[in-house]
Amino acid sequence: MSAPEAPARAAAPPSDSIAAERADILSVRGLRKEFVSRRGSARVRAVDGISFDLRRGEILGLVGESGCGKTTTGKLVMRLIEPSSGSIVVDGLDTAGMGREEDFAYRRRVQMIFQDPYASMNPHFKVRDVLEEPLLIHGIGRSKAERMEIVERALEMVKMTPVSEFIDRHPHMLSGGQRQRVATARTLILSPRIIVADEPVSMIDLSTRAEILRLMKAIQSDLGLSFIYITHDISTARYFADRIAVMYLGRIVEIGTQDEVIDRPIHPYTRALIEAVCEPEPGRVDTLRDLKIKGEVPEAADIPSGCRFRTRCLFATEECARLSEPELEDAGDGHYHACRRWKEI
Amino acid sequence: MRIGETLSGLGDFWKEYRKVGSGLVGLAILGLFVLFAVLGPALVPFPGAVDHWHDITYWQDNPMAAPPAWTNALVARKGAVSARLQPTESYPSEGGGASYAFAYDYRADRPPRDLIFRYKGSGKVFALLEATRPDGAKAEIYRGQLELGTDWQRISVEHDARAGVLELVSSVDEFIGASIDPASARPVSLLFSEIESDMADSPRALKGEYAFELRIQPLSQGAKAGVPELLVSGQVSGVLGTDVSKRDIFTGVVAGIKWALFIGFLTSIVTVILGVTLGVAAAYFSGPVDWLLTRVYEFVYLLPVLPFLIVLSAIYKPSIYTFMVIICLLFWSGPYKPVYSMALQIKEETFVEASRALGSSGGRIIFRHIIPILLPYSFAVMALSVPGVIVYEASVSLLGLGDSSIVTWGQILEAALSQGAVINSLWWWVIPPGLMIALMGMSFAFIGSAMDKILHPKLKTR
Amino acid sequence: MSETRGGLPPILSVRGLKLHYFTSKGVVRALDGIDFDLAPGQTLGLVGESGCGKTTTGTALLGMPSPPGKIVSGSIVLGGRELVGMPDRELRREIRWSGISMVFQGAMNCLTPVYTIRALMAETWREHALSARANGAPSEGGSDAPRPAGAKNAKPDGEALEALMRKYVRLVGLSESVLDRYPHELSGGMKQRVVIAMALFLEPKVVVMDEPTTALDVIVQAQILNLIKSLRKELGLSYIFITHDLATEAEIADRIMVMYAGKMAELGSSEEIFGGSPAHPYTEKLLASTPRLHRRVSELAFIPGAPPDLVSPPPGCRFAPRCSFARRKCAEAEPPATDLGGGHLVACWKAVEDPEYERS
Repeated sequence: MSAPEAPARAAAPPSDSIAAERADILSVRGLRKEFVSRRGSARVRAVDGISFDLRRGEILGLVGESGCGKTTTGKLVMRLIEPSSGSIVVDGLDTAGMGREEDFAYRRRVQMIFQDPYASMNPHFKVRDVLEEPLLIHGIGRSKAERMEIVERALEMVKMTPVSEFIDRHPHMLSGGQRQRVATARTLILSPRIIVADEPVSMIDLSTRAEILRLMKAIQSDLGLSFIYITHDISTARYFADRIAVMYLGRIVEIGTQDEVIDRPIHPYTRALIEAVCEPEPGRVDTLRDLKIKGEVPEAADIPSGCRFRTRCLFATEECARLSEPELEDAGDGHYHACRRWKEI
Repeated sequence: MRIGETLSGLGDFWKEYRKVGSGLVGLAILGLFVLFAVLGPALVPFPGAVDHWHDITYWQDNPMAAPPAWTNALVARKGAVSARLQPTESYPSEGGGASYAFAYDYRADRPPRDLIFRYKGSGKVFALLEATRPDGAKAEIYRGQLELGTDWQRISVEHDARAGVLELVSSVDEFIGASIDPASARPVSLLFSEIESDMADSPRALKGEYAFELRIQPLSQGAKAGVPELLVSGQVSGVLGTDVSKRDIFTGVVAGIKWALFIGFLTSIVTVILGVTLGVAAAYFSGPVDWLLTRVYEFVYLLPVLPFLIVLSAIYKPSIYTFMVIICLLFWSGPYKPVYSMALQIKEETFVEASRALGSSGGRIIFRHIIPILLPYSFAVMALSVPGVIVYEASVSLLGLGDSSIVTWGQILEAALSQGAVINSLWWWVIPPGLMIALMGMSFAFIGSAMDKILHPKLKTR
Repeated sequence: MSETRGGLPPILSVRGLKLHYFTSKGVVRALDGIDFDLAPGQTLGLVGESGCGKTTTGTALLGMPSPPGKIVSGSIVLGGRELVGMPDRELRREIRWSGISMVFQGAMNCLTPVYTIRALMAETWREHALSARANGAPSEGGSDAPRPAGAKNAKPDGEALEALMRKYVRLVGLSESVLDRYPHELSGGMKQRVVIAMALFLEPKVVVMDEPTTALDVIVQAQILNLIKSLRKELGLSYIFITHDLATEAEIADRIMVMYAGKMAELGSSEEIFGGSPAHPYTEKLLASTPRLHRRVSELAFIPGAPPDLVSPPPGCRFAPRCSFARRKCAEAEPPATDLGGGHLVACWKAVEDPEYERS
C-alpha cells in the first residue's frame, strides 16, 4: 500500500525524514530469550545472544532446523513476546521499555505472516472481516465504505481478483495459497515497513509455493519493504533472500550474502546443512551424502559449554570446549561466521 | 458480526436443527407449553382463576376431590359434569325485582353434588326458587331473605332446599315423600331421581330438561342484585379434576407453566452468562485472577446443592426470586470449567496471536474471537440447565419450603402428597404436576442435546 | 512394459489398478488406472501433488485402502501371487509385513506413548507373523506342523524374537538400549528409524515408504535417506518411495512415476526425468517450480489453477485445464500411456505427436 489512505487516529510513526538517513531499518544486539518451565526446573535458552542488522529494502533469510530459535526471534521482533535481554532498534527507536501507545504504533511498522495459513485466520470470519480487523483496530478509514475500499485494494495487491469472488468467503473455502495471499494482504494493509514471514510457504502445495514466493518478492520490490524470511528450507532462502543468517541452537553461526553462504560456506554446521540438501538432479541414487556431522541436536535446556556446536562437529578440539563461545568473525565481504578453526578446516 | 450475518447464521442453524428429530419434538412440546400458558387462562372454569390459586374461599363452590370430566367416558354410570350456567331468560317481576330462568339439561347417571345459585349486590332481597322437573313435577324449593354484599351470596340446594325438595317429592307421591327420612335425605339426589319407593337408597336418574326460576325481590331501599349464576357442582369436574380444597387442578397446572418457564429460562440464562464471563476472564487474564476464580469455583462446585437449598429455605423461607438468585450463584460453576478450558485453548490459537500482532486489545480478542466461538456451547448449556432448575424448585417446594405466594407444579405436588391424594387414590391430583415437570424437562433436554449435536462439531476451530 | 534391471522378472507387477472412494458426496476416482513393474533391488518413486493418488497407491498395495475406498479393478501381483481379491485373513498372514510392508506417512507420531519400543515391535510381530509361512510356499497343513526356522516362525516373546529385534534396531543405526525406551524419549530421527526397523524386521522383499522424511529436519532427513539407501543394498530390498518432493525423489529412486489426478503422467528413469528434458509438461513444470540450491534460478515457475475434482474429472487429459500446451484434442481424448523408447512412458498428446511443439 503505497500511500496511507485516511488519517489514522492512532499515534503516527515518527517522521521518516530523520530515519531516512539510516541504512539499517532494524538492529538487533545481544538478543536473548529464556523460557522457564512452570516449576522453574527447566530453563530453555531459545535465543541466546544474537545480533544482526536488517537493511532497508533487504530480505534477510533466517535459516535453521527446528528448535534453533528462528521462530522465537521472529516473535521477539514482532514484540509478541518480551526479550529477556538485548536490544531491538527499529528505525532508530529502541523498543525496550515501550509503553502501550508506542507498542500500538509499532504494529504499523512491523507485521507478520504466519506459517499455517488456515490457523492464522479466525474460521468464523469472512475475508472482509479478516482484512477489516486491522483497520478497525487502528482507526483507519472514517466509514465502512472507506474501509471496504482499502480492503479491496489490498486484495487486488495480492492478485485475488475479481475481488467480489473472494471477499465474502470463509477461510475454509479458500485453498492454502489463497489463504496465504489473504494473510499477506492483512499484513500489508497497515503499510508496515518490515515484514516478518515465518515459514510462509511450508504448509502450501509445492506447485503453489512458487506462486506465493513470486508474489511476495514482487510486492517487496514494488514497495521497498524489508523482510525477515524465516525458513528451514535453505533452497527457498536462496531464491528469496538477499542475505542469509544460519541459526543453530539459539545463535547465529554464519551470516552473509546468499552467494557467500551457499557457495562458500565456512561454519561446519552450514556446510553440513548445505551438503544435506537434495536436488532434483540425476545420478544421485547410489551415492551416500557425506555429512560431516554427528549425533543429534542437544536439548536447549542443556547447551554445551564453549562452542555449542562442538558436540556434533567432526573437527572439534578440546579447545572448542574450553574456550568461551566464539563470536561472529568477519571473513571479508560482510561474510561473518562463528568458528575458531575455520582456517584449518 | 453483523445482523445480516447473524440472521443467515441462524438460518443455517435452523436448517441443521430441523434434521434432528428429537430437537423438533422438544421444540413442539415447548411450543405447546407456551400456547397453554398464553391461552390457558381463557380455558379455566372461572375467569381470572389463575390468580386465585391460594384463595380457598374462591373455590368453595367447586366440588371437592372430583375426578376430571373426561373420566366419564371410562365408566358406565356417568357422573354429572360441573358447569357454570347463566340464566337463559330474565324479565322484571312485580315489585321492582327480576326473575331469572335457568335451564339445566341433566343426562348423567349420578346427580351433581350441589346446585348453587349465587349472586352479588347490595341491600336486602327476597329470593324464591322454583324447580320444574322433566316429569312435570314443579315446586317451590326455597324461599328466604338474603343480605347481599360484594362477596357471593348463595343458595345451595343441598343445604338450603331440603324441605323444599321433600315437599316436591311429596307433591308427586305423598307416600314416598313421607317414607324418606328428612335427616339423612340428600336433596339434590332426590331432585334428580325418579320418584320411586327406594329413591333414597338406590336412586334412578331422571334425565331430561330441568328448569329453575329464581325470583329476586328487593326488600330495602336501593337494594340491588346483579345477575345470578347457577353453579352445578358436579361429580366430575374440569380437565384435570379438583383437589381436596376444591381447586380446579387444570388451573393450577396452567398457572404453573408460566412460573416454570420463567424460573427455568431466567435462571439458566443468568447462570450461563455468569459462568461464561467468569470462565473467559479467568482464562484470558490468568495470574491472580485465574487463581482466585478457580478457588471460588472449587468451593461452589463442591457444595451439595439440595441440602444447601433445604437448609437455606428452612431458615429464611425465601421468595422465588431469592431462590432463583441462589440457584444462579450455585449453578454458574457448571459451565465455568468447560468454558475456561475452551477459552484457554482458543487463546493459544494462531489467529488470536495474529490478532495480537495487529495490535488487538484484550477486549477485542475476548469479544470478537473467544466469545463468538463459545456462543453455541452456551446456548446448548442454557437449554440443558432448565430441567435441572425446575426440578430443584419442585424438590424444595415438595418439602414445603417453596414460595407460597406463587403456584408451581412442585407446590401442587406437595399439596397432593401431604393432603392424602395418594391414600385416597386421587390420581388426577398427583400425576399431572409430576408429568408436567417431566415433560418440560424432557423438552429442554431434547432441545439442548439437539443443539449440542449440531453445534458441538463446530466447536473445533478447524 | 516389464522394464527390469538385469532382465529379472519383476517382483511386483501392477496392471490397471483402480481405487475409488465411495463417499456420500459421490464416487471419488482417486486412482484411475495405474501400471508399473518393480524389479528386485530397484526403487520406484511415486511423485505428485497432494491428491494425485500416490498415497492411495501405497495403501492399495498393502490391501488396506482407507475406508470408504475400494479397489475397483486391476491386478497387483507380488512374487507371483495375485493380491487383488485375496481375502483379508490371507493378506494379513502371508503378505502384509512379511511380503510387503509400509512406512506410513507420519508413522513416527503414531507410536503409542504408553508402550516401550520393545512392546511395540512385539505387537507388530504378533499381528503379522503368528502363522506366517514363507512367501509363496504352499501351506504345510495346520499350525501343529513343524515350522522351519527363520524370522517368521519365531515364537512371540521368545529368544528368537528378541534377537531379531536387536538385529534390526542395530541395523537402522540405533543402540539396543532404545528397545527399553518410550517413544517420547526419542528424537524425530530416532523414531523414524524405529518405524523403519518395524517395517523391515519381518523381512519383506518390498517396502512402501510414504513421505518418510518430510517431517524431519534437513540434516536428519539426509541421514535417514542415507540409511534407506544402505539398507536396500544390505538387505536386497525393493522400494516404492512416495513423496511430493521431487528433490528427495531424485536422491533415491531409479525410476520415477509422476502422477497427476489419479493417473500416470510420466514414468521414466532418473536420467530421463531429471536429465533436463522430461516429456510431460507437468513434469517440466514441477521441476521448474522446485527451488534449487546450487543453481541460480532467476524465476520459479508455478502452475496456475488447482487439481481437478476427482468425483467428476474432466474428459480427456486431466492436466489439460492447467497445461500451457493444451490443444483441442487434449480436452477431448485421454492420451494413452505411450512408450517413447526404453520403457520411458508418457501419457501426453504433445509428447507423443509433437515433441518440439511450441506453446500455442
